[in-house]
Amino acid sequence: MNAIEITDLKYRYHDGTEALRGISFRVLPGECIALLGPNGSGKSTLLLHLNGLLPEKPAAGAVKIYGQPVTAENLESIRRQVGLVFQDPDDQLFCPTVAEDVAFGPQQLGLGAAEIAGRVKNALAQVGLAGFEARATHHLSHGEKRRACLAGVLACEPGVLVLDEPTSDLDPRGRREFKAMLRRLPATKLMATHDLELAVELCARTIILDHGEMIADGRTVELLSDEKLMLAHGLERPHILHHLHPH
Amino acid sequence: MGAHHFHPPGHGHSRLHHAPAELKLAGALGLVLTVVLLPRDRWAGLLVVTVILAGLLAASQMPWRWLWKRLLLLEPLVLGVAGLMLFQPGGGKIFAVVLFKANLCLLTTLLLSSTTPFTELLRVLQRLRVPWLFVTTLTLMHRYLFVLAEESERMRRARASRTFTRGRRFQWQALSSVAGQLFVRASERAERIYNAMCARGWK
Repeated sequence: MNAIEITDLKYRYHDGTEALRGISFRVLPGECIALLGPNGSGKSTLLLHLNGLLPEKPAAGAVKIYGQPVTAENLESIRRQVGLVFQDPDDQLFCPTVAEDVAFGPQQLGLGAAEIAGRVKNALAQVGLAGFEARATHHLSHGEKRRACLAGVLACEPGVLVLDEPTSDLDPRGRREFKAMLRRLPATKLMATHDLELAVELCARTIILDHGEMIADGRTVELLSDEKLMLAHGLERPHILHHLHPH
Repeated sequence: MGAHHFHPPGHGHSRLHHAPAELKLAGALGLVLTVVLLPRDRWAGLLVVTVILAGLLAASQMPWRWLWKRLLLLEPLVLGVAGLMLFQPGGGKIFAVVLFKANLCLLTTLLLSSTTPFTELLRVLQRLRVPWLFVTTLTLMHRYLFVLAEESERMRRARASRTFTRGRRFQWQALSSVAGQLFVRASERAERIYNAMCARGWK
């Protein structure tokens, strides 16, 4: 069964802007996919669809997570399966302390206190923030905030991990560590990013969006090596490819 | 206003800082209620409260200057309320009493908030079974006060770096546009936070 299945998805914002114009693709369990495209291409809008977070229904098409359509009736079960990591960590860390924030999801799942404590400990260890439980979320560095956000999502143990610009605003070391952390996670991953090196290093497959349309879907190395295609859609051939595949 | 404005200075090691939050909250509530319920002419009672408060202030080892500045910041509100008393017969005396009482209450809450972490106060409220909606609203307000303060500080700096005139009028105009911008950004952020809450199963 496909982890994600999107069929002819069309979406229009209430001001009339056409954000998505017929997007279709499938993601198998365990795949790691990069979603590339210039600003305003519809990447974030597409990600919000995976969690049913947009106020208006799609104009057409359907989104299915493990065969289950994303509809108002299924939202609870969909959100259990899809973990969404937002672009701005300050939007996501709404609790006063790290432990409380990581515990938020499991609490909403209605788990017992011992189970919640175990999940919090586990999730924080997974992102390298063990010992940060009592720290105030607003006092964390940007990199630590990102990890805490990821821990908050991992604590819900989702099968699909959706990340919006996971490495933006991180320093080189933070980016390297975050990438290594993502690589270790077994969940199906879909990440919207401008970090082309992240796409090459982590994602075997890439989908390119522009103006709400799906431009390409294929092997990352092949798509990103196509300089003409990249330049036509506000992207560029990443330097890392010059080293990995000089020609 | 930057985020540092919300952090009380001082050592944080006084006995008052270490006292249980429940005790401090109950004490502060008791003091405020006593001040409010004392009849106008009971100056002796108010004096007793003042002495207790002065003792607690000294015990807290908080810098007087810091507390004084905070009190001054809140004074326009007190004056606004107390000022209304001047319009009734014999208003002068009532004005003085209201002003004095209001300042005692403010000092009490300032002392409580500067010696007790806000997160502890929230936990006490939760334990006291204060409605969750109220506690959640307070929690979110406290969390995003820092984000908003930092955002307004960034906007202030950006504005200052391109402000070449010293004209007051221009500055006020710029300030009002910053306030408007901040409001729009805050409401957009509120929407994103709500989405993030829903994404983790908020019902």
